[in-house]
Amino acid sequence: MRDVAFGQYYPSNSFVHKCSPLIKIVFLIVYIVAIFLSKNFYALGACASVFALIAIFAGVPLKSLLRSVRAVLFLLIFMALLNLFLYKGDTVWWEWKFIKITKEAVYYTIFLAARLFLLVLGSSLLTLTTTPVSLADGLEALLSPLKLLFVPVHELALIISIALRFIPILTDETGRIMNAQKARGADFESGGLVKRVKAILPILIPLLISAFRRADELGDAMDARCYSGSKVRTKYKKLTFSWRDLIAFIVGGGLLAGVIVLRIYTTAVL
Amino acid sequence: MTAIQFEKVYFSYESGDERGNDVFDAQTSFALNGVNFSVEEGEFVAVLGHNGSGKSTLARLTNGLLSPKEGKITVFDLDTSNDKNLFDIRRQVGIVFQNPDNQMVASIVEDDVAFGPENVGLPRKEIGERIEFALSAVGMEEFRKATPNRLSGGQKQRIAIAGVLALKPRVMILDEATAMLDPKGRKEVMDVVLRLNKEENITVILITHFPEEAMLADRAVVMSKGQIVMEGKPAEILSRGDELKKYALTAPRSVRICRALKEGGLPIEDDTAADGIAAQICASIAPCKPQTQGAGTDITAEEAAEKDGVGDVVCENLSYAYNAKSPFATHALKGVDLEINAGEFFGILGHTGSGKSTFVQHLNALIKTPTAEKKYKPKKLKKGAPLPPKTVLTVNGFDLTDKTTDFKALRSKVGMVFQYPEYQLFAETVFDDVAFGLKNFRDGMTEEEVKTAVREAIETVGLDYATVKKASPFELSGGQKRRVAIAGVIVTKPEILILDEPAAGLDPLGKEEIMALLHKIHADWCKTVIIVSHDMDEIAENCTRAAIFSEGKVAAVDAPRKLFSDVEKMYSLGLDVPFTAQIADKMRKNGVEIDCDYTVEDFTEKTLFLAKMQGACTRLTAEGGQNDA
Repeated sequence: MRDVAFGQYYPSNSFVHKCSPLIKIVFLIVYIVAIFLSKNFYALGACASVFALIAIFAGVPLKSLLRSVRAVLFLLIFMALLNLFLYKGDTVWWEWKFIKITKEAVYYTIFLAARLFLLVLGSSLLTLTTTPVSLADGLEALLSPLKLLFVPVHELALIISIALRFIPILTDETGRIMNAQKARGADFESGGLVKRVKAILPILIPLLISAFRRADELGDAMDARCYSGSKVRTKYKKLTFSWRDLIAFIVGGGLLAGVIVLRIYTTAVL
Repeated sequence: MTAIQFEKVYFSYESGDERGNDVFDAQTSFALNGVNFSVEEGEFVAVLGHNGSGKSTLARLTNGLLSPKEGKITVFDLDTSNDKNLFDIRRQVGIVFQNPDNQMVASIVEDDVAFGPENVGLPRKEIGERIEFALSAVGMEEFRKATPNRLSGGQKQRIAIAGVLALKPRVMILDEATAMLDPKGRKEVMDVVLRLNKEENITVILITHFPEEAMLADRAVVMSKGQIVMEGKPAEILSRGDELKKYALTAPRSVRICRALKEGGLPIEDDTAADGIAAQICASIAPCKPQTQGAGTDITAEEAAEKDGVGDVVCENLSYAYNAKSPFATHALKGVDLEINAGEFFGILGHTGSGKSTFVQHLNALIKTPTAEKKYKPKKLKKGAPLPPKTVLTVNGFDLTDKTTDFKALRSKVGMVFQYPEYQLFAETVFDDVAFGLKNFRDGMTEEEVKTAVREAIETVGLDYATVKKASPFELSGGQKRRVAIAGVIVTKPEILILDEPAAGLDPLGKEEIMALLHKIHADWCKTVIIVSHDMDEIAENCTRAAIFSEGKVAAVDAPRKLFSDVEKMYSLGLDVPFTAQIADKMRKNGVEIDCDYTVEDFTEKTLFLAKMQGACTRLTAEGGQNDA
């Protein structure tokens, strides 16, 4: 368990991996906005080619990218079918009793599916090329203007950091406790709902107790290391920006501008 | 200058304070009972005491995590009961706690080390310098960007020390910081601590229950029931065996050996190093070959083996990989061949990552061989292709490579106690927790039968059935919890009992008690007992035979007396040898060969026997000479 990288981070040293997490998050937001601003296949094609470009530079295997799509495949198909049958169009292609499939519905369905597909791929590319830790750093940097509104960004960041630190530890622990109860004949796989819920108690209770014990000890350790809130606190880690981020910035800006131009000068898919 | 001063300090935990249960015995109302104690700057003081003696309370009081009920504590003349001083006190006094995992806040080493300096508001540049200083002081510079999850216990604890050091404290308290580590990790940490004390002039308070570690200090203090009961030079204090026993402590092995040899008549002075003791012994014993006397004891295991399959393990060519089909595949086992006979008290050794845990988890099918999986279908082999070597895994007569095997029945016959089993307790009462396994395995048992079996199990582990059955397992002391957890496994009367580090984290007396308990279980409850251990002395003192795992294979299987004779091989496998074996090895290099089972008793007995033999021999030859004349 411990040897599996947490999250789906794919370790590499690529251009994209080295970009600042802040820029990557901002880029993802720009990319999502661009997808939503796209109203035809030309614009979507522009988004797709930018995505393809980044994916190639990131050197992430296609398989890991597609794995993330698999998770939402059911949703994708469900939405596509719903659209296919319910969208009202004029040019009927196929008809059977009350079911009607129109040309417009087919186009629109493909367009929607492509949109969703690109969205999922984009966000999974971010998590594939950014460790959870630097993702949290990027998020903190992104949210830091909120400090002016008295949002405790620093504390939130610390909470995320501690959560990330303890997820693998508690995952390990869950595995250990499960094994121990299995060795005592516990059965988590068979039986009805009530029985299964009951079977979880021998795992849940020790896990909760352990989590509280750890929290208690961590609190003491943090106190002992002079933690006292954020009044005097400084921060060691500073996000640095490089020429890579500038390029990312230009590409992102270009994409957004391009999509807007396409939106003005081309017609919608329907 | 006086660094820390305790004046008549009293402290008690509020009733219902959860931590109270762990730290002190419920019968004593005070966790500290009028303690006077002071530490000079630059000193290295060891605080010894059994679990619940109040020594951890002492640490928490020192940097204001707790404040005294009565009396006064000052740290560099700052009073800890004044909240305004706390920040300054904590900058001066750092604490390293027991569990390395529970004192880190970040997932990257340098971020974690930066936590303290960030808290006190140092500028960025200086934090960077502090990180560099702290990591190099503990010898972990190259792990600056690493994630703590991938580090060993010893390495993690060194990072925790670095996290404290980054604040440049003048005093460092180690609150049982080595208790959860293996011997290698313990040594790593102790080396760092010693160096910090000598080179950086950091005052060290080492709270420990390992007497060997206390020997390294300038001064030792023994605590019992919230009071300081002994104080002085470690070597002097730790040689008072009887008095130590009264406070539930033991003398270090070095002291026990020296004392026993001295009492037996050899001119030996106290020494802590194996080299020194060996040199002293060799000074009074002439080179000689091993005596054959007593060599016949290790064949009993072979003879005792019964061939009906009950209680034994046969394993051939067992391999296993985690995440087998992904690029992250790690091959934990690479063809293990091992036979464990019925009736053995078997030891499994190996450093972390050697595959020993993976192996024992196979023994009760927590990890299954591919052929035992429900979905397994035999692959069609190409004609003419060589047959892959067959894996054999038979435990207690069950074929674990066959998917039709009744794995539930197997698990009731092969009990498994994991490391720190007390953390798996969950039920409302001790009775329910112990009965859990029984109810899972035996559906048709009557209430009465369950009661009898649970009662028997609880009494076997040395607890009083009437008092504990209705108690919550969480109210018990650490040692009692562990006993309850063991009772919960042996309640199904397994033929084979497997324990992963059964004595981990216990104080010396607790360790002795647990090992005695295992021998009792071995004698009249479970046929075969298998323990996984890092502690070579534990293996030497308890096991009939032991297997050494290395790189996913069995590197050697033999009786401890044979295994530990080949010191070089043990070192090359990344393992230590018992203290007695270190001495014996040094003696062997000086030509004095000795054949013993490496327990302290047997070693001293054989050494004294040798001394007497030689004494007798010299006399004989002298007499012979006279006859000739």
